[in-house]
Amino acid sequence: MSASLLLQAVILGVLLGGLYALLAAGLTLYFGIMRVVMIAHAAFLVLAAYLAWWINREMGIDPLLSLVVTVPLFFVIGVLIQRLLVSRLKPLTLTMMSVLLTFAVALVIEGGLGFLFTGTQRRIPLSYASDSLNLFGAQVPVVKLIAFGLAALSLALLFLLLKYTRFGQALRATIQHPEAARLVGINTDRVAGYGFGLGLATAAIGGTALSLDATIYPSLHWHWIGPLMAIIVVGGLGSIPGAAIAALVLGVAQSLLQLPMGPTWAQTVFYIALFLTLMFRPQGFFGGRLAKRF
Amino acid sequence: MPAPQYGSRIVGAIAMASIAAITISGCSGGGGGQGGGGSDDPIVIGISLPLTGDFSEPGKGVERGYEAWRDIVNENGGLLGRQVELKILDDQSNSDRVVSDYESLIAQDGVDLVFGPFSTRLVVPSARVAQEYGMLFVEPAGAAAEVFEQGFDNLFYAAPAVANDHYNNLADYLLALPAEDRPETAAVASMDDPFAQGTAYGLRDKLEAGGVEVLVNEVYPPNTTDFSTIAAKIAQADADIVIGGTQYQDAVNLIIALQQLDYQPELAAFSTAPTNPEFAAAIGDATEGILAPTGYSPQSEFESNVEFVEKYTEMHGNPPSEDEANAYTTGQVVAAAVEAVGCAEQGECQQELIDWLRDNTVDTVVGPLSWDETGKPTGAHLIQQWIGGEILIVLPEDVKEADFLFPKPAW
Repeated sequence: MSASLLLQAVILGVLLGGLYALLAAGLTLYFGIMRVVMIAHAAFLVLAAYLAWWINREMGIDPLLSLVVTVPLFFVIGVLIQRLLVSRLKPLTLTMMSVLLTFAVALVIEGGLGFLFTGTQRRIPLSYASDSLNLFGAQVPVVKLIAFGLAALSLALLFLLLKYTRFGQALRATIQHPEAARLVGINTDRVAGYGFGLGLATAAIGGTALSLDATIYPSLHWHWIGPLMAIIVVGGLGSIPGAAIAALVLGVAQSLLQLPMGPTWAQTVFYIALFLTLMFRPQGFFGGRLAKRF
Repeated sequence: MPAPQYGSRIVGAIAMASIAAITISGCSGGGGGQGGGGSDDPIVIGISLPLTGDFSEPGKGVERGYEAWRDIVNENGGLLGRQVELKILDDQSNSDRVVSDYESLIAQDGVDLVFGPFSTRLVVPSARVAQEYGMLFVEPAGAAAEVFEQGFDNLFYAAPAVANDHYNNLADYLLALPAEDRPETAAVASMDDPFAQGTAYGLRDKLEAGGVEVLVNEVYPPNTTDFSTIAAKIAQADADIVIGGTQYQDAVNLIIALQQLDYQPELAAFSTAPTNPEFAAAIGDATEGILAPTGYSPQSEFESNVEFVEKYTEMHGNPPSEDEANAYTTGQVVAAAVEAVGCAEQGECQQELIDWLRDNTVDTVVGPLSWDETGKPTGAHLIQQWIGGEILIVLPEDVKEADFLFPKPAW
């Protein structure tokens, strides 16, 4: 195995890991805020990718511009889902029942996409789809670089928002201790709704980033939800930095392991990491205790 | 008095069950004897197709082909003077579902005939069900070697050649080149799927036997969406030719990943995807020189094909592709047997249909078809190449629409 192939695999792995980080960020946020396991997150990613494709087909504009529509739209949908559906679940069985509820939402999205756009596999035709930059002899595909940039930017913004704004403080307080948060005057219901909307807004960005370099079809989300779930468990449920680190590590590991082991065995890295985490460090490798996040 | 009540309930339940059993066997077995046909009832054909899930793209193509066949047959007066009706179930690309679908179609709905589903992974389990019920099983898409190694005596593949023989014309051409022009190295990537591997390994093994060195030999699971590392391996090896055992999205993603890494092979052969109407748009028209084997071309001059292409284009606004054509061929093969034998129902009739197909050649939209004793067709595929934004037949020489470009231009 040559050094240049190794460098190429590391670069591709980092780019892939960055995308994983963005796609997993919303998932860990929902769990952190409300102990909700959001199976439909990947379905929303695919929905956003479809919207980007559809807007591109109808108006011929770059898929990145569709973010202007999809990010606010997904935020509103997220708030509505939290207020109208998730908040109706009994607190005692919330986590378990949220799996069923969001599973149903995922099926509705998949069915709706199949109904509207058929099962035909789609891809956004981009003039720069196969362009790449040369870096020390390795090729860096432009579309993957854009997706990585989007991921880095959104995660940085999300981090700043949670760390330094009043809303972020309220959200973190809600995550850490809902009762105490209510005592100091935080409207935790509203904050949880906005938090859910925020998670879904990341799905809008993630789905658009995905659509730049993927062939999409309605059932694609089932291929994504497993690895994403593994990432947020390894990273520590509820921790966005944890999810980001786990995503990068697992992305690079998957990319590198493909060299000696081939793609079939390399994708088991997610599940092996999941098993090891559950066995030796159930609270996750990169987060602290659930209540002390960010 | 609970006891008598329970007793009468049990008796009642047994009575219901036996009535149900009689009704079911009546449905499926009724008209099993000679002369059971001839009524004005429509001939019902049971089919299970992957209309959702991984194979939904080709599955829908097969559905369109079956429906076009039904419409054209009914327009021409039906089969044996009876109208044809299709009963199509969705198996969600799931091999458990496909088994229960065919069981319920045959046993409960009592369909008169069955047609096969799409893809080897679904054809094998469903053919086994059809075999248990003694049904003729003509299928449009189970081309891998393992289909013909199961000992089925009811199965016929309605296409010109099995997967391993798809590239025979290309392999013969390359190996006949003078030594200095012949490719020396090859990279192979294939989906972990019997059909996709069959096509790629058929070509790989023939070239390897002819002295070509295989530098990369990758297998990826069907759910793979990221092809960047596989592409990196192939690009680094810089093999003369690249062979992809692909379906659709994997080919598109792999080709773009190879282009992103600036890999320029002398020859790029991918199964299935390049003949898909979405293909050129999906990879941004960077298709130049890509090869694919095909069992079907809308331009071919076979008698029934002219009518098929004309009517299909009228119905859908675009000419049929290979999936539609193979489905249509399935209909033609079964129809030929039904018309020749003069029956279409469950029971002895099915064995007569099977026996007739063993000994006869059927003219179809993909040319005349005949089969060996395992149901394997005895032809070879055309090789098509993307040239100037069109996909044209380049091999074999006697039916070519354009000259084969080798080495291929940059993509």
